[in-house]
Amino acid sequence: MRFITMDVTKCVVCRNCEYACAFRQTGDFKREDSNIRVDYHDDVKICLPQTCMHCDDAWCLEICPAAAIYRNESTGAIEIISERCAGCKMCILACPFGNIHFDNINMVSRKCNLCQGEPNCVSFCISGALQYTTDQNSCQNNREIFQRFIENISSDNH
Amino acid sequence: MKIIIIGNSAAGLSGLEAFRKQDQSSLVTLIAKEEQRPYSKVLLPYYLRGKVPYDHLFIRDKDYFNRLKVNCVKGSVVKLLVDQQCVQLDDGTLLPYDKLLIASGSSPVKPPIPGLSGEGIHHLWTLEDVRQLKTHFIKGKHVVVLGSGFVSLQGACAALSQGLTVSVIELVKRIMMRALDEQGADILAAQMKSKGVDLRVNTLTTRIEKTEEQRYLLHFKDGGHLESDFIIVGTGVRPNIDFLEGTAIKVDAGILVNEQMESSQPGIYAAGDVAQVPSFTGGKPVVHALWPTAVETGTIAGACMASGKNRYKGSLNMNVTQMFDLTVASMGEFVGDDGCESWIDESLPDQQYLKIVLKDGVPIGATCVGSADLVATLGMLRPLIREKVRLSGEPEMLKSIMAQNISQHHQAFVK
Repeated sequence: MRFITMDVTKCVVCRNCEYACAFRQTGDFKREDSNIRVDYHDDVKICLPQTCMHCDDAWCLEICPAAAIYRNESTGAIEIISERCAGCKMCILACPFGNIHFDNINMVSRKCNLCQGEPNCVSFCISGALQYTTDQNSCQNNREIFQRFIENISSDNH
Repeated sequence: MKIIIIGNSAAGLSGLEAFRKQDQSSLVTLIAKEEQRPYSKVLLPYYLRGKVPYDHLFIRDKDYFNRLKVNCVKGSVVKLLVDQQCVQLDDGTLLPYDKLLIASGSSPVKPPIPGLSGEGIHHLWTLEDVRQLKTHFIKGKHVVVLGSGFVSLQGACAALSQGLTVSVIELVKRIMMRALDEQGADILAAQMKSKGVDLRVNTLTTRIEKTEEQRYLLHFKDGGHLESDFIIVGTGVRPNIDFLEGTAIKVDAGILVNEQMESSQPGIYAAGDVAQVPSFTGGKPVVHALWPTAVETGTIAGACMASGKNRYKGSLNMNVTQMFDLTVASMGEFVGDDGCESWIDESLPDQQYLKIVLKDGVPIGATCVGSADLVATLGMLRPLIREKVRLSGEPEMLKSIMAQNISQHHQAFVK
């Protein structure tokens, strides 16, 4: 399965990915329209790009009371069918990573759909932090990358 | 093996799907009281608002039961014969089982107010309720909503959006007693009033009278009264367990179950609104008549009926909706008793509210009113609550603290 990996040690918070994603969604460059978000925490010097991990066991999908979330079998992406979404936000509350957002114009939830297999954020990443790679388990893999990074930070601080 | 599932909403369907993942050969019969094609109760108010079309209320396709090799029977269970391992339907049919899942849901209760019955008195609970309500949703009509919980206010919001005049009558001193804390409720109440809702708290309805014009006249204890075209009653629900009468199955506020959703009677499981399940706090078992809890408990029950493997980590109540142009959400123990500490995000603008409740530094609940982004913060807190991760630092640093905790909450996500 192909998915986006986020290497927090390479990210330079240029926000190109956010602009690229927003442009892909709306044809405009409003960062709030992006499905990938980069959080920069100055105090602990963490640059944290965050986009959907397309979990194997996606709770947003299981819990959606509108049956509006499904897995795209060809790309592996967990996708929201906007026409079915009631805008109840249960998926936003269910996501443990904060990776589902709300479209205040159309009043529906919105998330990464891997751009049908050609993610725009990866194409415009200048540092190589974002990669579109192939592996067994997207969620597990990204989790391990974060884990290693956090362990490094903790050991640097001691 | 013969399996019977009573109910075809969130818990019944999740149970069925989890069971079939592991067991494709057992005979499964599902007993549905109302519509045979599953629909979503959560969507009903959104349908009344005009946000969701009728067809989209149905959340499984027409071939669903065929595909899962399920015999779907329309009927109502009137008796459970534990010794014979049978359920009896309202038409007298006896259906035998080896294992049984009770996911029969809950029904609305009516407060004991004289005159609170008849044609124009409705609940907002089933598809049939909503079909009837839809005929009353005509611009300019006046509706009284009794109660101010999640369902009631969703009804009020839907009516307002369709141009009706809306009054909300609440017995106690504030709205959303079980879903918001006081500050959150105040923001929502102010917003409702600014949108034109006639909101009356501390108001006891003593009787209801039908007028000559076929309208309803409500009399209040303080001497006031109010006339309306119809009434929506949203004053809570109770589990559908009347058919257990005469059995030895242990019942408190619902059917008491263990971590595998099995009742006191081996082979009989319960999930969803009928089940009184372990709580995330490890305290007294709870009945959370909530969609997410129904999905979780149904999934556990189905897996355990097939293999006996899977344990419930306890219900962590969560509730969220968008109404009156505000997002409101809450989860866990969001009020905060004595001995708890509350973090309130002071950096938020007016009408935006986020509170996290901690006990000994560990988050146990949170609530928000305002924008959708706040809900995402609550979502990220859920694994920390489940895994009892200590948060240390200043509340303003919440986001950084969460970033530092990310490895822990990613770990917490591994089921």
